[in-house]
Amino acid sequence: MVEIEVPEIDYTRYTNRQLAAIPLAVLAVALAILLGWYLFTGAPVDPGTAFTGGAELTIQTDQSEDAIRTAFDQEPSNVRSIRGEEDTYIVEFPPSDIGALESQADDAGFEVLSSSSTSPSFGSQAQTEALYGVVIAFVGMSVLAFAFFRTFVPSIAIVISAFSDIVIPLALMNVFGIDLTLGTIAALLMLIGYSVDSDILLNNHILRRSGEFYDSTYRAMRTGVTMTLTSISAMAVMAIVATLFGIDLLSDIGLILVFGLTADLMNTYMLNLSLLRWYKFEGVAR
Amino acid sequence: MSALSAIRSNWRVVMLVILLLLSVFALFVPGATVGDDSANVQSDGPTNLQYGIELDGGARIRAPVIGMTAEDAEFENKAQVERDVATELGIETIDVSASRTSDATTVEVFDENVSESEFESALAAANVTHGEIRNGVTADTRQTIVEVLDRKISESGLAGGTVTQSTTAGGERYIVVTAPNRDREELRSLIQSRGEVRIDALYPEQNNGSTEYRQELVLRGEDIDPASTVKQDERTGEYFVSVTVNNDEAANEMATTLDEAGFTNRQAFSNCQYDAQRENNTDPGYCLLTVVDNETVYGAGVRRDLATSWRPDGDFTRDPQFRMTANTQEEARNLHLSLQAGRLPAPLDFEQAQTQFVEPSLGDRFKTNSLITGIIAVIAVSLTVYLRYGNARVAAPMVVTALSEVVILLGFSAAIQYPLDLSVIAGFIAVIGTGVDDLIIIADGVMSEGDVNSSRIFQNRFRKAFWVIGAAAATTIVAMSPLAVLSLGQLQGFAIITILGVLVGVLVTRPAYGDILRALVTDR
Repeated sequence: MVEIEVPEIDYTRYTNRQLAAIPLAVLAVALAILLGWYLFTGAPVDPGTAFTGGAELTIQTDQSEDAIRTAFDQEPSNVRSIRGEEDTYIVEFPPSDIGALESQADDAGFEVLSSSSTSPSFGSQAQTEALYGVVIAFVGMSVLAFAFFRTFVPSIAIVISAFSDIVIPLALMNVFGIDLTLGTIAALLMLIGYSVDSDILLNNHILRRSGEFYDSTYRAMRTGVTMTLTSISAMAVMAIVATLFGIDLLSDIGLILVFGLTADLMNTYMLNLSLLRWYKFEGVAR
Repeated sequence: MSALSAIRSNWRVVMLVILLLLSVFALFVPGATVGDDSANVQSDGPTNLQYGIELDGGARIRAPVIGMTAEDAEFENKAQVERDVATELGIETIDVSASRTSDATTVEVFDENVSESEFESALAAANVTHGEIRNGVTADTRQTIVEVLDRKISESGLAGGTVTQSTTAGGERYIVVTAPNRDREELRSLIQSRGEVRIDALYPEQNNGSTEYRQELVLRGEDIDPASTVKQDERTGEYFVSVTVNNDEAANEMATTLDEAGFTNRQAFSNCQYDAQRENNTDPGYCLLTVVDNETVYGAGVRRDLATSWRPDGDFTRDPQFRMTANTQEEARNLHLSLQAGRLPAPLDFEQAQTQFVEPSLGDRFKTNSLITGIIAVIAVSLTVYLRYGNARVAAPMVVTALSEVVILLGFSAAIQYPLDLSVIAGFIAVIGTGVDDLIIIADGVMSEGDVNSSRIFQNRFRKAFWVIGAAAATTIVAMSPLAVLSLGQLQGFAIITILGVLVGVLVTRPAYGDILRALVTDR
């Protein structure tokens, strides 16, 4: 029978510096991508219509994509078909009168399945709010981390790896051309909750339980890696199925969580671990 | 072990079972809900679950109110100020509102074309001193808007429609109107009309030998109470609304005005040739015009018995009733709706709105597909857990426990009639994810340090594992709470469900799993 066995890694072969180098390098690359994006486009990630304003129609028609593009007075900014459903397309527009678009679609013989529109001012409000939301959530999480462990290094280890867990998926969004939507914001906030689980588990095993460092690490890893893999499998499946069905909200959440949780595996068991080992063997001795 | 002590030591499992039973009850027994006025809510399908517009079809419009407010205004006469400011700005009086409440006196203007400086000079011209002029309207105005729209929605038979206010973190305020099973245009036209009704008298006046027509206001919408339904005249087939003037002062004034205008003279009886459909009505006679939102929709003549009741010796004030007739049944219904719901104090700004519309067929598709997505996600979780432990005795209770969290949440949503939307489904999947994570922590924490021989060892290890779970739960709740409070539309449901799920998990299901696990590992 196939069994998932969490491998026991011989951490003694690597120095703290070596362990921390890879996640820090990845974090640096991710930050560089976000910075570059910011310098070139004015935003670290491309905001979707919920944040810039715009209109979107879901239509059903047996006409071609080209016919769809020319059917509207206003040139659509994007037309994409939903893979799991036949003849169904999502058509996106810059901010415009949604009522006019609906009637043009009707005139062209398309069946309008759904429509949504967001005014630019509404979008910029939402952007501010999303930013507040993420910042408040992150600060709240950091305060809790310090309250739980009450020592600087282990707490800051949690905060740094949670930060990296958010920044890496954000950079990957640029790489894969995913816009920032309400769904991705939700996923980023969920990441804060999910990713901290494994960090807390690791810190708890190493700092609060008796036993030798590497034994504790291995026990925490066995549990933690199982947890994260379980979540990744659920989210990957959700992302794939929801993409087929054209349920954007769910596929966005799934995909971002897959990115973030994968990053979390690296951050927890390389970055966080190296900081904890340094703290346990050298920091405490000081 | 006696049955009683078995229950006592497994009380967490007992509690879980009770909660599950309650949830199933709330889900499937008709009428087993405590949600608001269930007469208004049609539950669809075999369950009591309430679906939002994404899963059931419908429309939602979220729009700010058009208007500006001058704070700390000082004025003597409310009506005078409204008239003066409106005249100065060249707008209708209904678009200016001066109000004095216990804690504030304000003047508001509800017209998007009026700039702040124009408003300021109009106030100066009306001799009103004031404090800051800000964008937006007062809380009272917003409250009235919500109430009027709410009446409009329920009067027009939009089952399950809701009207609420929301505030963004930046302080922008929005009115949110949701109507299941309606399309966007229907909803928009319903909430777009101000619903200002008035009755004008139109009559000829002799002026230096020539005849001139005069139009004069005789009754305002707020002074009119409509009967409960639209009726049809058996003889003429016309649709009409029976109305009563709801205060003596207005009734008196109406009678006096019409008497002075000559409506009580013989030549005025049933003498009206006004046709609202025609461009020009050159010599219509003596008419009462029904004006809705500044558009004359009907001109009616007055019959002898009603007209004579307006004479000084008449009895109109004792029995101030008459009919308002309309051209079609639909017009009569709209008139009735406007009279019943009242006038919208200020218009909504559809230019700055966010709208959403989902065709019921697409909603149904989303319903099925998101259910499939959820089930597949659960299967993925189950498989991973099973492969990891290689033991169905440990894995199966995990999956069952995590699913029971979802059942409890579904039961809770049904009980309070919380509408399910895609974001809520995402929340359910997130809850399964965190739930299973925590159960893995418990299982590993209990079993990894060798055999569990006594329940004391079990308790000890369980408590240690639970510390991590509690800490993780606290961080999830903290991370989600901004979303639960902020008005980021769709995401509120997601955050609320995730937080509730974590709470249910930590307080009920995860401890119950501990009891199950203890039974599995200690009594060998």
